[in-house]
Amino acid sequence: MPEAPVLLVEDDPADVRLIQRAFGKLPDMIKVIRLTNGDEAVSYLAGDAPYENRGTHPMPRVVLLDIKLPRRSGFEVLEWLRRQTTAIKRLPVVMLTSSRHSVDINRAYDLGANSYLTKPDTASQLEDLALRFQEYWLSLNELPDLHTGPTAKAPR
Amino acid sequence: MTEGNLRPILLVEDDSSDANLLCRAFEKAHVLNRVIHLPSGDEALGYLAGVKEYADRTLYPLPALILLDLKLPGLTGMQLLQWKRAHENVRRIPVVVLTGDKDPQTVAAAYDLGANSYLVKRAKSSEILTMVKAIDQYWVKLNEDPLLVTGADAGG
Repeated sequence: MPEAPVLLVEDDPADVRLIQRAFGKLPDMIKVIRLTNGDEAVSYLAGDAPYENRGTHPMPRVVLLDIKLPRRSGFEVLEWLRRQTTAIKRLPVVMLTSSRHSVDINRAYDLGANSYLTKPDTASQLEDLALRFQEYWLSLNELPDLHTGPTAKAPR
Repeated sequence: MTEGNLRPILLVEDDSSDANLLCRAFEKAHVLNRVIHLPSGDEALGYLAGVKEYADRTLYPLPALILLDLKLPGLTGMQLLQWKRAHENVRRIPVVVLTGDKDPQTVAAAYDLGANSYLVKRAKSSEILTMVKAIDQYWVKLNEDPLLVTGADAGG
């Protein structure tokens, strides 16, 4: 089975180009699926039409989520995800946004974001970010099993 | 550089040889943040709550990051996560679980209680160094810290 992709939810085409180029330069090939608005992100994660087929629309390992998005905002997507009763509620979410406002940062953590990154100013900084992101979330971090039952047993 | 980057890293670990290996790795990686080692969950709760000597936030500032073992004498790592989540001034401080337990149920339970990330302890010192460097690069240097509500700030 191929490695699960990273889901990038970002509406700005220029940012998408830069982010995809940065990920493209990584030593390991990372599949990035890109969606442009919050409604699409929720449909994708829920497996609603047109994303019912998990063969062609696999569950991601990690979500990179912008805040300012058309339709549903990144906050609303995050809120929806953490409210789910299946194991997908544990899917790690890394905010990737241009907002450095502490109100936004705190709100993201309150809604259950795992991490909050701001979009860097230069392409080389973005390449560095992509590398750190990959090293940390796709290699070092122990991801939750999204097929485990919804209720986790508290350890003895 | 944000203010949070200079705050200490709290290492909650009861095994002294594990703690020593980690502290040495932090030194070797030239991490600028002070690493404060606490050997139990109760001690960590005291620190975060500012009890007794820990009330002195000049000496014992709220941490930038908490590295948390799960199996601890007294209050467990899971219980500390639960407590932390209910306390406004500390609940947004990122927590990276660092434990020997890789069981998917335990991983799921930690994420459910608000752990930001979950790492499995490494045995080889070279792997520990790589892990510590990645923690520093990601959480201290790249991730945006929440704005903490500290006693001093709240009091004006």
